[in-house]
Amino acid sequence: MSLESKVRKALRDFPYEIKFEVRDGVVFLDGEVETYQEWVEIGLAVGRIKGVEGVVNRIRWKGYPKEELKRKEERRRKLYEENKDRIIGEYDVVIIGGGVTGTAIARELSKYRLKVALLEKATDVSVGASKANNGMIHPGVAPKRGTLKAKLNVRGNAMYDELARDLGVKFKRVGSLWLITPRTLQKYRRYLPGPFYKFVSAYIFPYLVKLKGMLNGVKGIRIIRGEGIWKLEPKATREAWAAVYVPSAGILDPYELVAALAENAIANGVEIHLETEVVGFIREGETIKGVVTNRGTFLARYVVNAAGVFADEIAELAGSREYTIHPRKGVILLFDKELEGWVNHCVTELRFPAPAHTKGGGINPTVHGNILWGPTAVEVPDKTDTSVHPEEIEEILERYREIYPDFPRHRIIRYFAGVRAPTFTEDFIIRPAKWVKNLLHVAGIQSPGLASAPAIAEYAVEQLRSMGLTLEPKPDFNPHREPIPRASEMSLEELDRRIKEDPRWGNIVCTCEMVSEAEIVEAIRRGARTLDAIRRRTRLGMGTCQGGYCTLRAAEILSRELGVPISQVVKENGGRLFNGTVRGEEP
Amino acid sequence: MAAAVKLAGKGYDVALIERKEELGGILDQCIHDGFGTKIFGKALSGPEFAGHFMDEASKLGLDVHLNTYVKSVNAGGDVKELVTVSPRGVERIKARSIVYAIGCRERHPFEIKVGGTRPAGIYTAGMVQRLVNLYGILPGKRVLIVGGGDVGMIVARHLYLEGVESITVVFPEEFFVGLPRNVQQCILDFNIPFRPRTVVKEIVGKERVEGVILVKVDENWRPIPSTEEFYPCDTVIFSVGLVPYAKKLRAIGAEIDPRTRGPVVNEFFESTVRGVFAAGNLVQIFDYVDDAVESAYIAADGVEKYLAGEGRLDNPVPFKPGSNVRTLTPHRLEWEDERPVVAFLRPAVEGRAWIIVRGGNGEILKKEFRQYVRPSTLERIEIPREAIDGAEEVYIDVAGV
Ligand SMILES: Cc1cc2nc3c(=O)[nH]c(=O)nc-3n(C[C@H](O)[C@H](O)[C@H](O)COP(=O)(O)OP(=O)(O)OC[C@H]3O[C@@H](n4cnc5c(N)ncnc54)[C@H](O)[C@@H]3O)c2cc1C
Ligand SMILES: Cc1cc2nc3c(=O)[nH]c(=O)nc-3n(C[C@H](O)[C@H](O)[C@H](O)COP(=O)(O)OP(=O)(O)OC[C@H]3O[C@@H](n4cnc5c(N)ncnc54)[C@H](O)[C@@H]3O)c2cc1C
Repeated sequence: MSLESKVRKALRDFPYEIKFEVRDGVVFLDGEVETYQEWVEIGLAVGRIKGVEGVVNRIRWKGYPKEELKRKEERRRKLYEENKDRIIGEYDVVIIGGGVTGTAIARELSKYRLKVALLEKATDVSVGASKANNGMIHPGVAPKRGTLKAKLNVRGNAMYDELARDLGVKFKRVGSLWLITPRTLQKYRRYLPGPFYKFVSAYIFPYLVKLKGMLNGVKGIRIIRGEGIWKLEPKATREAWAAVYVPSAGILDPYELVAALAENAIANGVEIHLETEVVGFIREGETIKGVVTNRGTFLARYVVNAAGVFADEIAELAGSREYTIHPRKGVILLFDKELEGWVNHCVTELRFPAPAHTKGGGINPTVHGNILWGPTAVEVPDKTDTSVHPEEIEEILERYREIYPDFPRHRIIRYFAGVRAPTFTEDFIIRPAKWVKNLLHVAGIQSPGLASAPAIAEYAVEQLRSMGLTLEPKPDFNPHREPIPRASEMSLEELDRRIKEDPRWGNIVCTCEMVSEAEIVEAIRRGARTLDAIRRRTRLGMGTCQGGYCTLRAAEILSRELGVPISQVVKENGGRLFNGTVRGEEP
Repeated sequence: MAAAVKLAGKGYDVALIERKEELGGILDQCIHDGFGTKIFGKALSGPEFAGHFMDEASKLGLDVHLNTYVKSVNAGGDVKELVTVSPRGVERIKARSIVYAIGCRERHPFEIKVGGTRPAGIYTAGMVQRLVNLYGILPGKRVLIVGGGDVGMIVARHLYLEGVESITVVFPEEFFVGLPRNVQQCILDFNIPFRPRTVVKEIVGKERVEGVILVKVDENWRPIPSTEEFYPCDTVIFSVGLVPYAKKLRAIGAEIDPRTRGPVVNEFFESTVRGVFAAGNLVQIFDYVDDAVESAYIAADGVEKYLAGEGRLDNPVPFKPGSNVRTLTPHRLEWEDERPVVAFLRPAVEGRAWIIVRGGNGEILKKEFRQYVRPSTLERIEIPREAIDGAEEVYIDVAGV
């Protein structure tokens, strides 16, 4: 059957007149549907077809934000016109996006003799999905066999010991534990009468999971039962019949990683331009000549599109729209550090098939001793929708209480949401653009994008090589980066020695997390310009009281170090910390 | 400061450790009046009230360590050791007894599960007080205040007088829960708009707050469907309660009362770790600084007894909250002493009421009448030792009339 007829067949399931067109394996959809959910489903149905390399979903739904998109487009065009003639510099590679993907690629490229610039529109790196995830380095059991995701996840996971050591980033291989309970195969209960249900659940299903993992290349998977489970997780539900234990699963602090990647890339010669938003491209025929931003144009021989949820728009601006991203929001709850030890592994309850809203979620510790519950998985039309609805909080609390029945659920100290960037083909898309010569797509980097990041970077650089980029190793590449020392973690002797050299080590600004003034000053020296950038680098205000005490003192330090009045200090991006008048000044 | 001054007055060798660069705790940001009505018989401002104790401290030549953060404490033995961090370095201080008076923290929006986004423009009331009073900056232009207690009202008046463009106060109760005097002087006198039985469901705005979604609630504070309403503002200030900062005490193994969220204490405000005392808002939230000071004085008396090695009761008498009592301190009677026991309790009802102290079998040990009790006002009652003599446990009830 031709691709066309397969698509036609898939579309027959929907009560709409959907027009489509296939070009080089990419399917373009047009038409009108009632709901956003249908828009998603149609895209997915087409994306599932074998041989489809991308779905560009131009179908409209009721409530399609036409006006808003038009305004966005006009704003981009205006910035484009204003800035296209101002040349900033000439680069071998320009990377768009300062999340974990972009910074990992930047650092990988910094191993070679190349002039590289990374452009990030926000006031810091790591403000997209890379700041709002579980920080799990998945082992690679979950992705479908044969996908790029499976391959890069398993490889990325294996690369983390060395990478984390080089970058001075805390990384722990805590292992994951997937519980099999009476709920695991609930959907099949009626086909499995009496004791047969437990038998299949406890003695057959776990081996299928193990087999899947082994076929993906994951090592060390074990099936455990009974006391073995509670020895690892004493407080997990007693309902568990069996568990799949995967020792290679790890955890790290994702924004610490991204900051470290960025710092190390800079140390090796990469330029990182913050508050630099890509608004268009200058092309000559099928080749990109320049990347136009709100600050001017970066001439480029190669361009890497690592713009997360916005990768489809960047592709469109560049002239090679091969996929549409359907944003998928995930809400995560964060619990007090005082509960450290309640959960030691990345724990979840296997459900087959996975429930729609909490697919892939679970409970996991963080490297700082907090515990995370979540995430959810909800399709949202707005790529920047990181809102958390009270119902979502309750949903997570309900969903996971079953695996930790006695967990002190009231000790939430924060919740947040991130937006994943899946395409309709649901795999990573890392390939040269089809209709532009020197653009590399690194798109659809949804979960496990963090776990895969080091392998994605390696793979992306290989792709650039295949596109003609010459890679000449740099003998003076320095893979090491020193972390910002933490007063809370160093020995008393070391702390005393540091204070004697610089008394700011003895000025404790954040009491909950014991963050000193010296750490804040160091974070600023390394590029933090906003309160949130400081929080991510030092953990200031991340504890029990959530900044109630230290916010003003940190703002004071930022104001002093940056030489701006305290009323101008920024929380993140365009949000000034304070919006009111200053005594003695004109309103 | 109160505990230190009292102990130094008794002749003990006292060190006072404070993490900030000056003494006074939260008083230095409370420039409104109303402090000291019980102790000094007049309404001072927070800094004035604190000033009194600072003067005492300097007269007595107290050993004050400012800018000094207590990192960890080893409270196990007879000699306790504190590790402090300050710009002078890491220091170890040995002491025979410790009084913790590290106050409280403000509850934040995540604790009341406010939804929506998390942009700039969200503050706690205490943060705003410091911002305005110590830095001279207003948080924003159009303000929504969440919480109808004293702190919320005081902040509302303050921002009104400082000239913000608009203010509204919302709270889930039927009416303001703070002192009637504050309702009059802070809200009604200035015609500040307020909405009872209303809470913030969600915050809206990407980089800066653009508004909130308000929702009406019923008498059980459950949202009423379809009563959501968008309220435009650029600033949301949460004044939704204070919580004892008990984690430091928990870290040394002291037992914590889930009701007060502060340490479990005996009648001399000694925690369950011997020789470690607690006073002020760390124990429970005191509405009046005068009561906080009294708790410190009592703790100082306790330190004296502890250091003198005075006797403890063979069978401590548990104190338990009875009907209509939300929180109660002390949690037990443990020392041999003559002085009456001072108990603090938070009623669960409003109106005229009897406070009844009774034994485990229902026998009434003491009764006191109150014209007006309410959940937001901490009640104080003195119980003579003779009244409790022989009781195996003591309950305190509040009975409305
Ligand atoms: C709730 C949740 C939980 C997750 N948990 C895990 C997990 O436990 N383990 C795991 O492996 N993965 C997890 N993931 C997935 C992981 O977070 C992502 O795969 C990863 O962070 C993607 O990184 P990125 O750099 O591709 O995208 P992003 O981090 O989103 O970075 C893209 C960047 O591009 C910038 N940008 C966009 N447009 C422009 C422009 N025009 N000009 C300049 N810059 C631009 C953005 O500002 C942004 O900083 C999770 C994701 C979510 C949402
Ligand atoms: C907004 C507001 C309005 C009020 N209005 C009134 C009023 O009108 N009338 C009235 O009578 N009362 C009022 N009160 C109540 C009264 O002020 C308080 O009950 C009292 O000040 C509490 O004192 P405290 O010493 O327990 O706590 P705090 O004043 O908070 O002192 C605790 C101290 O411990 C220090 N500390 C904390 N951790 C450490 C550490 N690790 N190492 C070293 N030091 C540490 C802190 O820096 C702080 O200085 C008000 C309170 C507030 C918040």
